[in-house]
Amino acid sequence: MTASHPEDRIEITRNRIPNAEIAAQVRTDEDGAVASFDGCVRNHSHGRATLYLEYEAYEEMALVKMREIAAHIHANYPIRRVAILHRLGRLEIGETSVFIAVSAAHRAAAFDACRYAIDTLKKTVPIWKKEFFADGAVWADGELPPVPAETPAAKPASN
Amino acid sequence: MTVKVLYFGRLKELFGAAEEVVEVREGAVIEDLFSRCSVARPELRKFRASLVAARNQEFAAWNTPLCAGDEVGFLPPVSGG
Repeated sequence: MTASHPEDRIEITRNRIPNAEIAAQVRTDEDGAVASFDGCVRNHSHGRATLYLEYEAYEEMALVKMREIAAHIHANYPIRRVAILHRLGRLEIGETSVFIAVSAAHRAAAFDACRYAIDTLKKTVPIWKKEFFADGAVWADGELPPVPAETPAAKPASN
Repeated sequence: MTVKVLYFGRLKELFGAAEEVVEVREGAVIEDLFSRCSVARPELRKFRASLVAARNQEFAAWNTPLCAGDEVGFLPPVSGG
């Protein structure tokens, strides 16, 4: 679908995300800016001490939605390359769960596209986080993704 | 016809199952499939307002018609990042 940007890197992984390597890969000599977002595991949530997190995904669909985000920012911001990586499985405090890097000739586009990418990922990519505490575990409160409106035409006539 | 149903997050945990194949009538929509699944899994009903459906890896309205072999996911609020 987005084969026009072969240098992009859109991945779901169970391994440690090599942040510095990813940030370096999106950069070319034509760029004056690389903006990145490093989402990492915090040691507290709603006033409780977090021990670790576990992430799971609807992997095939998550990749579809992540590629859509990349396609959207290519179409709407003057940027060069995009990397979006999300990690699954058990993550310890301080580890990176999501890493996004965007290169562009100028900083405004890189910042804006990177911000759009993480905000949209959190709302539309089917990934779930479970938080583990000393006294139990909970699925994190999430966001319900926007869904196409129901249309009367979509239902076959019943009469 | 049959379709594949996928459960994630708290639903997968609750049911101890990630997927199942479900028989629905020709012309069924996603809401019909949800009702069908709720017969075998009554706890599913209470999640209806806090789920979205996906058909073949795209978010879909509850009145979307199904085809044989479709893959339908019932997705809790997402919390990636």
